[in-house]
Amino acid sequence: MTSFTVNGQAVTIAVDDDTPLLWVIRDIVGLTGTKFGCGIGMCGACTVHVGGRATRSCITPISAIKGASITTIEGLDPAGNHPLQQAWRTLQVPQCGYCQSGQIMQAAAMLTDFPAPTDTDIDAVMTGNLCRCMTYSRIREAIKQAAAAPVAKS
Amino acid sequence: MKRPWLIGGAAIVVIALLVLVGLGWRSAISPIATPAIARFAPAQIARGQILASAGYCAACHTVKGGGALAGGYAMATPFGTIYSTNITPDPDTGIGRWSLPAFSRAMREGVARDGSHLFPAFPYDHFAKLSDDDVAALYAFLMTRPAISAPAKPNTVPFPINIRLLQAGWKLLFFTPGRFVPDASKDASWNRGAYLVEGISHCGACHTPRGSLGAENKAKPLAGALIDHWIAPALTAANSAPVPWSEDELIAYLGTGVTRYHGVAAGPMGPVVHGLSKLPTTDLQAIATYIASINGAAGKRAAGASTIAQALATDKIGLGLQYDAAARLTTAACAPCHYNGGRQINPLRPDLALNSAVTMDDPRNLIRVILYGINAPDGIPGVVMPGFARGLNDADIARIAAYLRATRTTGPAWPDLEYRVAAIRAEGKGEQQ
Amino acid sequence: MSRLPPPPTSNTHWSRRSFMVASGAGIVAFSVSGVIAAIDPAVPGNVPAPATGPAFEPTQWFAIDSDGIVTVNIIRAEMGQHVGTALARILADELEADWSKVRIVHVDTAPKWGFMVTGGSWSVWQTFPLFSQAGAAGRIALIEAGAKLLGTTPERCSAKKGAVHTGSRSISFGDIAKSGAVARQFTAEELGKLPIKPVADRRLIGQPVPAFDIDAKTNGTALYGIDAKLPGMVYARPKLPPTRNGAKVSSVDDSKAKTVSGYQRYLVLDDPSDTVPGWVMVIADSYPAAIKAADLIDVRWTAGPGANVSEKMLLDHGAALVAKADGGVDLDVSDRPPAASFGAGAASTIDASYTTGTVLHFQLEPLNALAAEKNGVFEIHTGNQWQSLILPTLAKALGVAETKVVMRTYLLGGGFGRRLNGDYAVPAALAAKALGKPVKMILTREDDARFDSVRSPSVQRLRMAFDRGGGVTAMEHHACAGWPTLALAAAFLAKNKAGDKYDPFAIAGADHWYDVGHQRVRAIVNDMANETFRPGWLRSVGPGWTNWALESFIDEAAHHTKTDPVAFRLKLLTGAGRNAGSAPSAVGGALRQAEVVRRAAAMAGWGGKLPADTALGLATSFGQERDMPTWTACVARVHVDRKAGIVRVEKLSLAVDAGTIVDPDGALAQVQGSALWGLSIALHEGTEFADGQVKDTNLDSYMPLRMADVPDLDIGFVDSSEPPVGLGEPATTVVGPAIGNAIFRAIGVRLRHLPISPAQVLAGLPA
Ligand code: FES
Ligand code: FES
Repeated sequence: MTSFTVNGQAVTIAVDDDTPLLWVIRDIVGLTGTKFGCGIGMCGACTVHVGGRATRSCITPISAIKGASITTIEGLDPAGNHPLQQAWRTLQVPQCGYCQSGQIMQAAAMLTDFPAPTDTDIDAVMTGNLCRCMTYSRIREAIKQAAAAPVAKS
Repeated sequence: MKRPWLIGGAAIVVIALLVLVGLGWRSAISPIATPAIARFAPAQIARGQILASAGYCAACHTVKGGGALAGGYAMATPFGTIYSTNITPDPDTGIGRWSLPAFSRAMREGVARDGSHLFPAFPYDHFAKLSDDDVAALYAFLMTRPAISAPAKPNTVPFPINIRLLQAGWKLLFFTPGRFVPDASKDASWNRGAYLVEGISHCGACHTPRGSLGAENKAKPLAGALIDHWIAPALTAANSAPVPWSEDELIAYLGTGVTRYHGVAAGPMGPVVHGLSKLPTTDLQAIATYIASINGAAGKRAAGASTIAQALATDKIGLGLQYDAAARLTTAACAPCHYNGGRQINPLRPDLALNSAVTMDDPRNLIRVILYGINAPDGIPGVVMPGFARGLNDADIARIAAYLRATRTTGPAWPDLEYRVAAIRAEGKGEQQ
Repeated sequence: MSRLPPPPTSNTHWSRRSFMVASGAGIVAFSVSGVIAAIDPAVPGNVPAPATGPAFEPTQWFAIDSDGIVTVNIIRAEMGQHVGTALARILADELEADWSKVRIVHVDTAPKWGFMVTGGSWSVWQTFPLFSQAGAAGRIALIEAGAKLLGTTPERCSAKKGAVHTGSRSISFGDIAKSGAVARQFTAEELGKLPIKPVADRRLIGQPVPAFDIDAKTNGTALYGIDAKLPGMVYARPKLPPTRNGAKVSSVDDSKAKTVSGYQRYLVLDDPSDTVPGWVMVIADSYPAAIKAADLIDVRWTAGPGANVSEKMLLDHGAALVAKADGGVDLDVSDRPPAASFGAGAASTIDASYTTGTVLHFQLEPLNALAAEKNGVFEIHTGNQWQSLILPTLAKALGVAETKVVMRTYLLGGGFGRRLNGDYAVPAALAAKALGKPVKMILTREDDARFDSVRSPSVQRLRMAFDRGGGVTAMEHHACAGWPTLALAAAFLAKNKAGDKYDPFAIAGADHWYDVGHQRVRAIVNDMANETFRPGWLRSVGPGWTNWALESFIDEAAHHTKTDPVAFRLKLLTGAGRNAGSAPSAVGGALRQAEVVRRAAAMAGWGGKLPADTALGLATSFGQERDMPTWTACVARVHVDRKAGIVRVEKLSLAVDAGTIVDPDGALAQVQGSALWGLSIALHEGTEFADGQVKDTNLDSYMPLRMADVPDLDIGFVDSSEPPVGLGEPATTVVGPAIGNAIFRAIGVRLRHLPISPAQVLAGLPA
């Protein structure tokens, strides 16, 4: 039994200790915005926030997150209006969209550490998030747009 | 928190002889009725609670999924598995029938109420240094915890080491009882720190190397040791951290599990900082004062600044277009969380060039943390480092470790890395991680 | 009724248009199965809202309800191209609909929708005339009905922004629908004759419009195949056999898997369609349990062919086939009789061979499918690009009539051609049939890579003959690779005039628009490749390798004749003879290609001064198909580090003429994406066969382009009112040769293998 919170809701889950958080979120909690891409921590499609830090949920065993608070793309902003989500829409970033939950979650965590990221910062921090449709230039632009947005960042 | 008790075959002969002389015999202390909670003064309980934190009793006396302090935690030793005992006031399975003198004898001499000798997995050699008042306070704290019925699990230590009486011989050889003696030439804070470090916090239990019979090598106090598949780094001048462990760094580390220039408490140190973080600032300061006085931090401060600048410069290595597979792999796997952009280091983004896991002579800690990550309850509370064990193969992890070593340190390359990764992977994750 | 259009008849050069004919031919009344709901990516949960009140449905392609909501039915798969938005816009423009009231729905595979395929960048090209006519039909009918309701004649009315207007009075489309006054239906024939409005009157086409699917893709509500769920479903992960073809299970031992909590059982699949020979499905309560259990199950197989095949064997075999004078199929490309000889008649000749290595699709969403039987009908929930291709296979595998299989197409987490091949639906369907309950199969990334229909390695030899003045008199292009169409859809093989079959997708691009005198193009199948794996269509397919060879070789020819590479190309792009181009989509021919070459060169500052070891290289392409050309040119600015052999691409400048641009922002996105794909395949990704399997199966060693590798991009489109053509692929094929050509101009080293590696660069430099 492991207890933690997902998007502010308390959950208690009884699964094997080594069950990856990803599948707990997708198949037990039922939030499918978090995606499975590589399963080895190298694509970022499964990125969620654990304690506010961008974390690859596919290689995070459920036993590791005891008591932690998890945020998924569905919980990033109740209305889906995080400055990044707004910028993503304005710039029409997604193509197939499969990587984009992870991209947005990674970018959201990045903005707390780097409120005005440079290109180098974006390259470094976002390099773990693969976009197979190669929407990279738009991702970079959208991050900058969101960073410049007057709205308070969460 | 497991400790290796190495008891060589030759020693057994010696010990057996000593036993024959009958020196090890101890009598039982009569059971008492479990004292009522009201018998203990709140102030005494509170003091005991702090001491329990300083000694992080719960780390070894609580098993995952079990009740607090109810024991059952397995400590793997080369000679079998020892399970920690129930130290809740449950009369039948815990210490509910133990009087203060019985408790005190256990703490000071490693002898249970029934007269049997405790394995030195229980660090009574350190607890012996505690003052009477502190032992009484700890007793008060433990006796006022919720009683949990949890029978002891049988240890799997084989004959003849399992003969408890043999432990008496070990004590004769290695155990010097005695209270803490303050050093009059040092100030009160230093002495308080020394008292905690040598006593209740039993730092040497992990950080002091042990001899072949499993006893701490008194000639090399706190010089660093292998413990539970991890390396507990030297707390002395031999420490390899590029930035000296100043008092401020120590306070931050012990109080929060993380520091800007040294990273995150991982492995067996995780639960330790959880205990220590509950100490009053003055006690943390005292520990820091004491440790900083033995590691020579003061003299190294200037070196720290240039090291930090140097580390920040290496932060950008591996970014941008890379053909090198190791660079691409390392950057994609590590930079999202560890890159600081050559600016001030964010403690939540531990800098790898300054991390002793990367600068140590032995890659063991780095390999373990890459394989198994860090749990939310350890290190920075509520934050996780995922483990790459399933995703990356031995060659991949060796490649990352070698790349970090080459680009982030001036140390020599680690030999046989892939082999080391395989061996460390075979050790497994360990129960509590 | 077979969903496949009749295979091309003899002696016709196979054309992509046969798809179009097929897709338009399906207007047959057929009651919707009702089994499967449609998907609307703009709606959270993806279930479209029900229509309000009476609806007006002039063709099966759209309906207008009483609220004026226009729902457009989309048969194409959404995989990042925002296809629904682009197609709805074509229809809405002609309909004069109010864009804010337009919705899209991705439909299931009921036969009435006709031939369903999304690939080859055909969607807009094929649908444009169809949806224009459907929109026009709606507009005409609404004006007629609206006029009646407004008490006037149609001639006095016009439609605009979702209403019919006359003078200052108007009535909305919704009110017309609600009145029930309009019930007109159009036959395919009538539709085909309807007038389409002039370009100048377009209101939506060419304007920036946000795509319908973006919202759901930024807030986690977008539903992909992997998100599909059915009550009572179990999870499955396959154990993959050692060879793609012909493997047989000899024993299974699951005793270790029994320790995994949640493990249920394994199934040895019996597949009458022979799509997944030797597959064992591991069934569990949860997917992590299926992963773990599959790792612990010990299966022994008798391997099929190719178990020992390596990359080198594939390339050597290809080289041997190319070297043989006979074999292969000559395309009917030349206007002129075959060249007498490359030897005596020519003042000089050049001759070069090029190779490309194996490439994975690596679409980010690993393959998956959910299958279930409900009332005798098998439902397949998955993301797929070519439903009409896999439906007959599914029917055969399941032993049921084709009408008893329905596919519901979810969003695709990347297609790139992998999901044209629906082979992954078969094992899920077989397992669901065997177990009698819904089965959700997901491949791990490693499974996905091993089961990929990879882009085959290729070997090509090109020759060119020149006269004394440096004029080109003859050219030959021999290309050998695995043939995806042979492996996956043999009915679509093309035939030359002599009746020999070849894979048009595997040779496209070699039949270029340059005027080279006597031209010969020979397509050769690498049979070892087809035996070892199922070669796949990968974004741009054949031109991914043919254009690497062709455009590198054209630069070699320019160098040979001491001509500037841009000038050399312009000299050959004369637009004469068969290169003049023809209606409908290739009007202008090679002259349009010459124009994009000029533009790209100008954008990049061709001829300017650059720092040491830095140079520009150019390559051009017409896309994949001569009758649907997307004229594309790319200039790469490259710096080469002579010490490390590292090639840094600093900038890519691309000029594209794709006819009418329906969706400017989407078009830009497609070219950005495909250009970066080209860069990724040129420098970063690629794998090798070893023992019959691909060596790299995950991102620890397969290393596609990431954020930090992205160079400056400058992309320009030619303003055009010609019919719109595909945009998803052409840029993929120009980047590699542009880089190769730039490397040559920077340091004088000619590279002839893709992917380019520092080792090759270093090997070319004097020690
Ligand atoms: S699925 Fe977790 S990083 Fe790729
Ligand atoms: S948008 Fe398709 S993978 Fe990023």
